Amino acid sequence: MIEFKDAGVTAPDTGVTILKPTSLTLTERRVSVIGANGGGKSTLVRLINGLIPATTGSVEVDGLDVARKGPEVRRKVGFLFTDPSAQLIMPTAIEDVMLSLRRTIKDRDERTRAALDALEEMGLGDRADVAVGSLSGGQRQLLALAGVLAVTPSILVADEPTTLLDLRWRAHVGALLRSLPVQLIEVTHDLDSAARAERTIVIDDGAVAFDGDPAEAVRFYRDLMFGRTTRTAAP
Amino acid sequence: MITPTGLFRARETPLHHAPAWFKVLLLLATTVAVIMLDDPVSSLGIMAACLLLLVSTQPPARTTTVAMVGTLVVAALTSAIHLWRGDWARAVDVSADLIAVVALALAVAASTAMTAMLDLVSTLARPIRVILPPETLGLMFALLLRALPEVAQIYLESRQAARARGFDRNLRALLYPTTTRTVGFALELGQAIHARGIGEEGDQIESGKRRARRSRRSSAGRDATVSASHTPGAGTGIGSDEA
Ligand SMILES: Nc1ncnc2c1ncn2[C@@H]1O[C@H](COP(=O)(O)OP(=O)(O)OP(=O)(O)O)[C@@H](O)[C@H]1O
Ligand SMILES: [Mg+2]
Repeated sequence: MIEFKDAGVTAPDTGVTILKPTSLTLTERRVSVIGANGGGKSTLVRLINGLIPATTGSVEVDGLDVARKGPEVRRKVGFLFTDPSAQLIMPTAIEDVMLSLRRTIKDRDERTRAALDALEEMGLGDRADVAVGSLSGGQRQLLALAGVLAVTPSILVADEPTTLLDLRWRAHVGALLRSLPVQLIEVTHDLDSAARAERTIVIDDGAVAFDGDPAEAVRFYRDLMFGRTTRTAAP
Repeated sequence: MITPTGLFRARETPLHHAPAWFKVLLLLATTVAVIMLDDPVSSLGIMAACLLLLVSTQPPARTTTVAMVGTLVVAALTSAIHLWRGDWARAVDVSADLIAVVALALAVAASTAMTAMLDLVSTLARPIRVILPPETLGLMFALLLRALPEVAQIYLESRQAARARGFDRNLRALLYPTTTRTVGFALELGQAIHARGIGEEGDQIESGKRRARRSRRSSAGRDATVSASHTPGAGTGIGSDEA
């Protein structure tokens, strides 16, 4: 369970509010977050694992205060970025997954086996020794996901995980994400994907503008972006 | 993408089975030896041995060929200078040395997994663990290797973009995007490391003193600037504290 308690973010140097104090309790297994560019979606979801600290209020994950129990929270919360290249550190696929496992599995052989399992789960079993640079964008995102899931988080936060992918990979990664046995919080510009969640939050101008039924949320967001006229008159 | 250690392939060759410390020691010893020895015959002998070792690791053909051809060109140019001065012995010695060291370095890269290298770096760093946790040093080493080709790539793309806009000889049009994108890449990588909990491995065993320092830091972090919070790589992730 993720709990925002009046959590807000301001840039102290400029005093600009990036996220107004927000209170949310997320218990649904699939939550999507949509909204215009620069609205504050990434800021909101980065609060969940402490990548950005709240400047007011607090965020709790399973009762743990993110500000005080950062490392513990990050062990529960996996994070998938838009660009997998920035998330991958090691030269080959298996080594990158093994890096994730360094902390949890000390025995080398055991770690290798666990990493292989994680890769196989993502359908990358035959890519274990391949250089990361020679993987396709979609395969790289799967690899990043394998690295995140290898340490068995119970929550997965994904910030536009399919934005850089082609149509086929987008469908594949999207379906895969939804099938995972974790609570998924997904920021996306793919409204079809957003509508498949159980709950959708629309963020606009640093605040929650809508929170509730996905289909309604998508409608709300379209109206917000284009005004009510667009659906009757072509632009 | 060119990765310095992207050469590694899982194989069953003698060098693959040799421990990383042995290979690094061999590389160091060979380098010292070829610098000390300046008779062409022994240089040629060492070169032949190194080339054989390289072949024995069954390295990926294309990358290896490119690297060796590049080395041959440099060796040929260097020899040419010495030949022009009439010093054929030195010409042979210098180019054989160069080829030997590069070939052996490639052999080590092709037969040593990055993780084995990291473990070695971590082990070697044990004596200075008070200053820098060995795990952190190993990670820094990996990040360095990770960053080099990335920066090269960013530089190439920036150059192409500058050319496309007609800025062929404009240094600023090249340096600005290269610098900002490099910093951007570093920040993203830092965030990812932080998010993956890498470098936090010392957690369970950390001393009480450190824990106290950390909790003070994180409460300070709450009123830290937002821009600082976007740089966990610089502030926390790979930094000295959480590792
Ligand atoms: N370090 C910072 N200092 C000041 N302002 C910032 C900082 N980081 C982000 N912002 C601003 O906060 C706002 C929200 O950013 P955020 O990245 O959360 O938006 P987003 O909804 O994820 O947008 P996008 O869809 O483009 O990813 C933006 O206007 C951005 O410019
Ligand atoms: Mg964003």
